[in-house]
Amino acid sequence: MARRRSRSGRTSKTEQEFVSEAEEIIERMRGGLADLEDQRAANDEVDPEVVNRLFRSAHSLKALAGLFGLDPIRHLAHQLEEILDALRLGRVSLESPAISLIAEAVRVFATLLEAVGDAEAIEVAAAPVAGLSEQIEAAVRAARSGPEVVEALDVDPEVLRTLTEYEEHRLQESLRHGRHIVLVDATFEIDSFEAGLTALSAAVRSQGELISTLPAPDDGSDSRIRFSLLSASSLAADALAGRIDVPGASVRSAMRRAAPRAPAAATPVEGADGLPSLQSISETVRVDIRKLDELMNLVGELVIQRGALGDLITTLQSHHATAWIANDFTRVHKELNRKLKDLQTAVIDVRMVPLHQIFEKVSRVVRGLRRELGKDVRLEVRGADTELDKLLVEELVDPLMHVVRNALDHAIEAPAERVARGKPPQGRIGIDAFQRGNHVVIAVSDDGTGIDTQGLRARAEARGLVAADETLSERDVLELIFAPGISTRLGVTDTSGRGVGMDVVRTNLTALGGVVDVKSTPGSGTTISMTLPITLAIVQSLIVCVDEQRFAIPLGSVLETLLVEPREIQRSRDRELLDLRGEALPLRRLSAEFGLGTPPPEAKLFAVVVGIGDLHMGLLVDRLEGQQDTVIKPIQGPIAAIRGIAGATEIGDREPVLVLDVAALVEDPQRRREAPCP
Amino acid sequence: MRGPHAERAPGWESLARAALRPRRVAEDPGVLRRLLAFELEGAPYAVPVERVREIVRLRPITPIPRTPPDVRGVISLRGEIVLVIDARQRLQLPQAPPTRSSRIIVVQNDEGRVAGLLVDGVNAVLRVAEDAFRLTPPGEPGAVAALCRCGDRFVSVLDLERMLDVDPDV
Repeated sequence: MARRRSRSGRTSKTEQEFVSEAEEIIERMRGGLADLEDQRAANDEVDPEVVNRLFRSAHSLKALAGLFGLDPIRHLAHQLEEILDALRLGRVSLESPAISLIAEAVRVFATLLEAVGDAEAIEVAAAPVAGLSEQIEAAVRAARSGPEVVEALDVDPEVLRTLTEYEEHRLQESLRHGRHIVLVDATFEIDSFEAGLTALSAAVRSQGELISTLPAPDDGSDSRIRFSLLSASSLAADALAGRIDVPGASVRSAMRRAAPRAPAAATPVEGADGLPSLQSISETVRVDIRKLDELMNLVGELVIQRGALGDLITTLQSHHATAWIANDFTRVHKELNRKLKDLQTAVIDVRMVPLHQIFEKVSRVVRGLRRELGKDVRLEVRGADTELDKLLVEELVDPLMHVVRNALDHAIEAPAERVARGKPPQGRIGIDAFQRGNHVVIAVSDDGTGIDTQGLRARAEARGLVAADETLSERDVLELIFAPGISTRLGVTDTSGRGVGMDVVRTNLTALGGVVDVKSTPGSGTTISMTLPITLAIVQSLIVCVDEQRFAIPLGSVLETLLVEPREIQRSRDRELLDLRGEALPLRRLSAEFGLGTPPPEAKLFAVVVGIGDLHMGLLVDRLEGQQDTVIKPIQGPIAAIRGIAGATEIGDREPVLVLDVAALVEDPQRRREAPCP
Repeated sequence: MRGPHAERAPGWESLARAALRPRRVAEDPGVLRRLLAFELEGAPYAVPVERVREIVRLRPITPIPRTPPDVRGVISLRGEIVLVIDARQRLQLPQAPPTRSSRIIVVQNDEGRVAGLLVDGVNAVLRVAEDAFRLTPPGEPGAVAALCRCGDRFVSVLDLERMLDVDPDV
């Protein structure tokens, strides 16, 4: 985000569009490359779909770069196509330097993109292109020559000759993996054959790979047409016949003799549909997030106008002469209200993106790290289709990456150690995302060492964050991982801490109106849960009144409200408490916090119970004024953040209302305890 | 060189927006600079016109807790929430309640940050020649950048950077 913004200064709009589209393509390539590396590591067969996807990406990039006259990118993309083509035809293998060349090309693309808009920088970035191209050419040339004729098949050689090199390669690969090659024959009426053929192809694909659709020798009929579908499947012909439920289709083996090897337990391969389509037809539009912000602001202003209209109606109702107008007005107002809500939902919906994008990024990092760290870890991702505001997703990347890295680096033990502790040698890191009300929860769990609370406390004491004689609950101690200056190591095995700590994760999330919680069981694992509002655009707030000044409290952090009699307030040392169903709820008077006037001592008060994670607190206010949709805006002016104030919002046409930063207010006393200062 | 003169300017709002930046103007001593003059405690003050975004009538101001006393609060300005600084407080002048003629001058500093200045009233746009500017005599409050002779009166020209420099720790 930041990078793109800084670039906008020297690049034109079209260049920015090119860059953002190209970045997406390269991001896809990185994904494909990581998959390939996995396959190589696992000694798997090359998944044709992965190579095809990479090929399509290279092809799109080539076309795009050609369009924008970026020759170095176009040229390199062309070379990449060559090597990917060789790879999918099996002319080069995954063991060859091919993969590292592809990786290198992707890296060069990225530096070239960085340089777009600056001719000199492009020249510098393009320097490696020539050398890399030569290497790729050499690799393709050195690769073994084309595959031998498929002799194992009982198929008319005339027919085999019509196969493309790629199809031939797929046949060989399938044979090598012990799959059955079958021919599925069917005859269709000429005028309706397309539908029938589509259904048959789908049925074949569901059971294996459709390699080629061949027109079969006709049976002399003018009104009918016959096809032979050359396919590969882990099922033998007779078993397959039972699975393909298309009337008139027959399945026969195309093998010259019995299956060469026992069928491998291979999963059906998706149909590799040959050459890439240059641009898949897409119904999506790329929109600058700032435009959406503008739209959102407009909606926000409409919401405010609606509030003003409501005030007007109240005025009309209060006068006898105009009350009848008010009734009509109310109806219109209600309708407007409903439509506005729909509009709001629609605009927010546009901003929503599924989390799988960043989860993919995280998986890639995990794959890289586990190799680097020599740890065997399985990453389980659930709920990747959970949606979150695009802006929040961007901001979530770093904290999430940090937490996952921590788990992998510090929490998961080496395989031998795990076995010694009676755990499976392979560690597990889970990322679970789900929606809870107006929030999205992303929980990162591991089955590693758990947090060493004693060690954590010792470190906190050494840093003077906790007094040696202070009694802390287990929870309080765990909370210390979020204190500044505490090493991020979550396990006991690590010897070096990382520069950035969990305090940064908490700070980042708090800035987004989110919270982060930790739960840990020594020896069996840790769960870090990050809770974020689905959107920052419009939030429901509770409007409260203190000394006749109104404040808005985002409803997301309000748990309940209570009417409090002054005599119910208990004092313990310098703190005020309330007995809330047997639990001690710490209270804070907003009037005291903000230096405002206090009501007479006998007056009833309201406690707004707010919760940030597991920290609860009652904010004492004079009066509650109800709920409102609020658009929280930053305060413009030469002033740094005001602690406890998140921004301001407009309600009706009256003065702006300050929005409380609940997280800061709740954290305040904690901070005082952690770092006692006058 | 013409003598400086004040003009009643009903259209000064648009004038203010169109005004040139002072640095470029300063290179040519013959060119006049435009100042927006306003009143505080009966005395004339001014800010460069090109720093003025708009002038608004007094509207409800929401006080902000935990801020120094010269921060008056925030107003809403067509969807923006803008901080308002009390110019009297800032210049250590005696306090006085706002009147019907009070205005909020919305100014923009070099970095494009916006803030409002609460003043007693806005007078005019002055055209002042470069050579009418005098250095600040000692004893003037820090936010006064220069004095400028306009006819028979001296106008205090404010340094907006210092004027808007809020100390958040108070």
